Amino acid sequence: MADIAFLALAVITIGSAIAALEMRSLIYGSIALMGTLGGVAGFFFLLDAPFVALFQIAVYVGSIAVLILFTVMLVKRELIFKKIEDPRRKFAGIGLMLVMMLALGAVFIDSGIKTITTDEPPVNFRDIGADFVMYYWPALILMGLILAGSVTGALVLARREDVENERTN
Amino acid sequence: MSVIAPNFKLSSFIKSLLDNIFWILLLLVLIGIPLVFMVLFVIPLPVIDGELLTPFLALSWIADPSRTLPIIQAFLETDIFRVMAFPGFGFAALLAAGTIFAERKMMAKIQLRVGPFYCGKFEGILQLMGDGLKLISKEIIIPAKADKPIFWAAPVMFVAAAAAFVALIPVAPGWVVADVDLGLLAVFAVIGFFPIITILSAWSANSKYPFIGGIRALFQMVSFEIPLILSLLGVVILTGSLNLSEIAASQSNFPWIIFLPVGAIVFFITMLAELERIPFDLPEAESEIVAGWLTELSGMMYGLVQLGSYLKLYAFAGLFVVLFLGGWNGPMVVPSFPMELIENGIEMGPITLKISGLAPLLSEVITQEMLNGTLWFVLKTVGVIFFIILPRGVFPRIRVDMLLDLGWSKLIGLAFVNIFIALGLLYAGVLGPGGLQ
Repeated sequence: MADIAFLALAVITIGSAIAALEMRSLIYGSIALMGTLGGVAGFFFLLDAPFVALFQIAVYVGSIAVLILFTVMLVKRELIFKKIEDPRRKFAGIGLMLVMMLALGAVFIDSGIKTITTDEPPVNFRDIGADFVMYYWPALILMGLILAGSVTGALVLARREDVENERTN
Repeated sequence: MSVIAPNFKLSSFIKSLLDNIFWILLLLVLIGIPLVFMVLFVIPLPVIDGELLTPFLALSWIADPSRTLPIIQAFLETDIFRVMAFPGFGFAALLAAGTIFAERKMMAKIQLRVGPFYCGKFEGILQLMGDGLKLISKEIIIPAKADKPIFWAAPVMFVAAAAAFVALIPVAPGWVVADVDLGLLAVFAVIGFFPIITILSAWSANSKYPFIGGIRALFQMVSFEIPLILSLLGVVILTGSLNLSEIAASQSNFPWIIFLPVGAIVFFITMLAELERIPFDLPEAESEIVAGWLTELSGMMYGLVQLGSYLKLYAFAGLFVVLFLGGWNGPMVVPSFPMELIENGIEMGPITLKISGLAPLLSEVITQEMLNGTLWFVLKTVGVIFFIILPRGVFPRIRVDMLLDLGWSKLIGLAFVNIFIALGLLYAGVLGPGGLQ
């Protein structure tokens, strides 16, 4: 069952990734990208990490894909892309991808991933929280500061001074 | 004298009836009965209580309540019943239909109109059914230069996302379609799909008004998702759980709105914006951009989007009830069923009416707690829905810059205030370990 799901997810993820690169229509390309990101979320579900999977859907499919769609729809694509047809680049890209996949696969297979037991229950998100507070607290504080900075920046950007002045006048 | 059908002849009417009966019988004999036999030949029949469930046995069970009741009980416990009927789609669609009728009547009363009046004998109560039949029978017109696959898929995906949202809402203890451990995160993930579907539907119509409406819907939904998520963190901090059933069960003594009124207000306002209700109905502002992103949708496609948006309304109201108003918790008002009536039967004159299979059904599936929980959940949800549709008769539409200012600089700040209130309550020991709960 898990093998069938894994194969289906792999086909969806890789197929839609190729479609995202190769499609002529940018909108369909970004929909295919959404499929890729959703497939990655499916892999997280298979890896018993529903917390990460749901955040993958909420953040990547829900927000990043929307931003990409927004950009694609609002900008004339002739201005951003100048397509250079060159088959040698494509072959070079495929070759580079194969080399990368072989190298990463060799590293993964050599890293003792086969000895991991697969019947473990899903990771409890409370454990993730406890780990964050106990062991990874500097990273947590750094993330908190970055997020606070970005939220403050968004608030500053959203505040338009000319509108405020008009209202007071 | 006016005649509705001047060429009516009784003989030809009877002939047409007989013709129809002949064709139905012929088709049944030639196709129907062989089909039934083929199906019976192929499908392995289930064995219930040690007996093979042949069609004859099944027909004989229909007449006997003591044998059909276990089947009904087994059906009530299946997943398909949960998905289609009770805590899932059917229940939500029923509440949504009631919402549409109540909304139209209430808006009419507020604006000194009559509202739906003629359909059905009483106050136009069948108006919704008439509208639905009209939408089903209308032609679906696709714009010539529309992107057809996305345009067709968008309304269906909208209803699907709304139904997925509905599936996460617990109605009574144990009565929820998908009891996810990370239910609130799943809610956030499902909410994230609505702006994508909206913008894709708006773009694929290849028309000006839908596109403007879609862009408006996109930035409104995306920018209000942030205060929505932040305003719910207070409840998560106090409960220590993301499971919606556990969150509802944790409010058996008091609802969280007592301690987190700020969060409840922020969530309510963001809920209005996510649902595109007045005063945040910029995406479908009918006085500016025709019908916004719904302009090019026609027939049942429009009907599906409306169904989806009202399912979403029910789901958001249910989420508010579960998170802030205590979910199904409430005083026990449903009386317990008199068990001796079932066990001993009802004596009416010389006859004793006795139904033997009812006792396990009432003590296992349709319990007193379930009925009471459903009653309180529905009452609270209807109250929240009333407050969602009330601003429609009261407020004007707000400007775009005011909307963004509200979302980004006021509601996010208030959501952080709410989080600090929750943390203060936790660390002061009012709530949590050693406190009230």
